[in-house]
Amino acid sequence: MRRIALYGKGGIGKSTVASNITVSLSKKGYRVLQIGCDPKADSTKLLLGGASNMTILDAMKNGRPVHDAISRGSEGCYCAECGGPRPGSGCAGRGIIAAFEQLEKNNIIETISPDVLIYDVLGDVVCGGFAMPIRNGYAKDVFIVSSGEMMSLYAANNIATAISDLKDVGYATLRGMIQNSRGIDEEDSIVDKAVLEIGTTVVKRIPRERTVQQCEAIGKTVVEGAPDSQLSKIYAGLAEAILGLSSDDEGGMRIV
Amino acid sequence: MNIHPRPNPIIAALYMLRDIDVDVVIIHGPSGCGFMASRMIEDAGIRVMTTAMNDDDLIFGASGKLEDALREAERRFSPRSIAVIGTCSSMIIGEDMEASIRRSGVGCRTVSVDCHGCMGNNTAGAIMAVEASAKAGLIPKEEADRQKYLLSMATQMEKERGMASVQYLQPSNGPTKMGVAKKIIGCLSNNGKLAVVSISKKELAYRFSDLFLAVDQACKELGGKAVYIANLDPQKGLPRIRGYAADILSELSAKGISADIVGGLDEYAVIGEDMKEAVDRHSPDLIVIAGIPHAYPDLDKSQILITDQPRQLSNYLSKGYDAVGEISSHQMVMNVRKIVPTETGDTIREMLRDIS
Ligand SMILES: Nc1ncnc2c1ncn2[C@@H]1O[C@H](COP(=O)(O)OP(=O)(O)OP(=O)(O)O)[C@@H](O)[C@H]1O
Ligand SMILES: [Mg+2]
Repeated sequence: MRRIALYGKGGIGKSTVASNITVSLSKKGYRVLQIGCDPKADSTKLLLGGASNMTILDAMKNGRPVHDAISRGSEGCYCAECGGPRPGSGCAGRGIIAAFEQLEKNNIIETISPDVLIYDVLGDVVCGGFAMPIRNGYAKDVFIVSSGEMMSLYAANNIATAISDLKDVGYATLRGMIQNSRGIDEEDSIVDKAVLEIGTTVVKRIPRERTVQQCEAIGKTVVEGAPDSQLSKIYAGLAEAILGLSSDDEGGMRIV
Repeated sequence: MNIHPRPNPIIAALYMLRDIDVDVVIIHGPSGCGFMASRMIEDAGIRVMTTAMNDDDLIFGASGKLEDALREAERRFSPRSIAVIGTCSSMIIGEDMEASIRRSGVGCRTVSVDCHGCMGNNTAGAIMAVEASAKAGLIPKEEADRQKYLLSMATQMEKERGMASVQYLQPSNGPTKMGVAKKIIGCLSNNGKLAVVSISKKELAYRFSDLFLAVDQACKELGGKAVYIANLDPQKGLPRIRGYAADILSELSAKGISADIVGGLDEYAVIGEDMKEAVDRHSPDLIVIAGIPHAYPDLDKSQILITDQPRQLSNYLSKGYDAVGEISSHQMVMNVRKIVPTETGDTIREMLRDIS
């Protein structure tokens, strides 16, 4: 199983990228599980035609089986959302930790036995809870989504630092940056310079295109909503590249 | 840094609210948080409740549970005052206890203490409790300031000479009380002069004052002279604490014992020098210091030290002092209005029976 985590500044396009990768790989016959690690629980909505499903934490809170929080989406992919408190109360970071505990306790990963597990993680690594995917042997290969905008690269740098700080205790390694372009001047060269400083490489450059919004409006990923578009091919290429850059390891939710 | 278990700010807040005579304390946290101390406090007549936070509450917040608990407390106990105290779990997730109190609609006086376990000195929790109680009008501002001063001095003393002064102390039950009882009896039998000092923290005076009773009996039977010095000023401190002093003084005077009074039962950390002066005026041959001996300045190895704390005892013993422990005293004095016999006192009494 490949254990992949996507990090990046809030709103940069992580969930869009993740969902397009998930659909691309599913189309090719891989079993993919995408786990949204964000209290707003919107990571997988494009995989579910815009609908939202019960979250893992809602299931836990309401005494429902955790399995009920796993749904099937586009191309038969598996979708899960950790969920969390409404803004301004409780502890979302603790929520991620508890949701992972629930998945493990109920052998969800073993039951689904995906080929690829994708964690779509909220914004910055603000606290220990959001570092969960890159700790304790959950995710192995991490990709940062960033545009060429300064704030986005700044966040990327922080995330890279968090990953390298945890290198000695975890299994996660930074494998590259996915450039989700914003269309600013000299964007490619700005990003090239930034990855050099961070010590990584650009995996793929995704152009900024209205197709994304158009597909979003009908509750679809680009790969599904505009399968013949150039952008769809770029996402497919990204999915391929990620397979090439990640490793396939034994074990359940965590690497043994 | 100390790596032996120590009371934390939550527990210190709990005890302080008992001293302030709050009727109900609600601990906003997991049900086990502070339960040993809670049971002790309940013995002293305070009702303690918990919001019994679980993992769901940690994630989603538990302000609703706190509101329910507040209303339930009012319904069950019709209290004059309710205090809510924070714990690590509720404070890490930033629960707004003040807002829950407001939303609960309870009519009695309320105190909100935003303490948690990681605030450093345990007295930080007590200080927060004092400030919040003053804000709620439960205690006058002057008394709050006085308490804060005393708490800061107690912290300083513990850091300099008490259990917070050593990184790790292994608890000890110490020797039997035979050795110190023999010394006391020996002093009086030789017509010597004995000074018995109780420099006790609050309710613990109910136990350490027993030494006055035992020594008084020994003095009557064996001769010699004994003087008693105690921080039993009934005009100092919060009403509950004054009451302890008044109880003990009336029991002593009923038995014909009079003591030099130096300070109140909450002033143990600041009256050491005055106590020593009072003791030195009598030029005693032997000094017994009970309660918090390290509150007394310039301890020396000719003195007898009596504490209730197994770790404090091992601290004294490791420094070569002649010390014994009245272990578990605290449990025995949470719900009493009369002096409780000590093992040291009982050993003296038993030896007196053998002599006569
Ligand atoms: N390549 C692109 N071209 C145009 N728009 C895009 C592109 N990628 C993402 N977007 C737009 O950006 C918006 C935010 O994307 P997305 O929700 O994927 O970001 P995110 O990083 O997951 O955000 P959050 O941190 O809030 O979870 C989406 O609504 C989408 O319309
Ligand atoms: Mg997202």
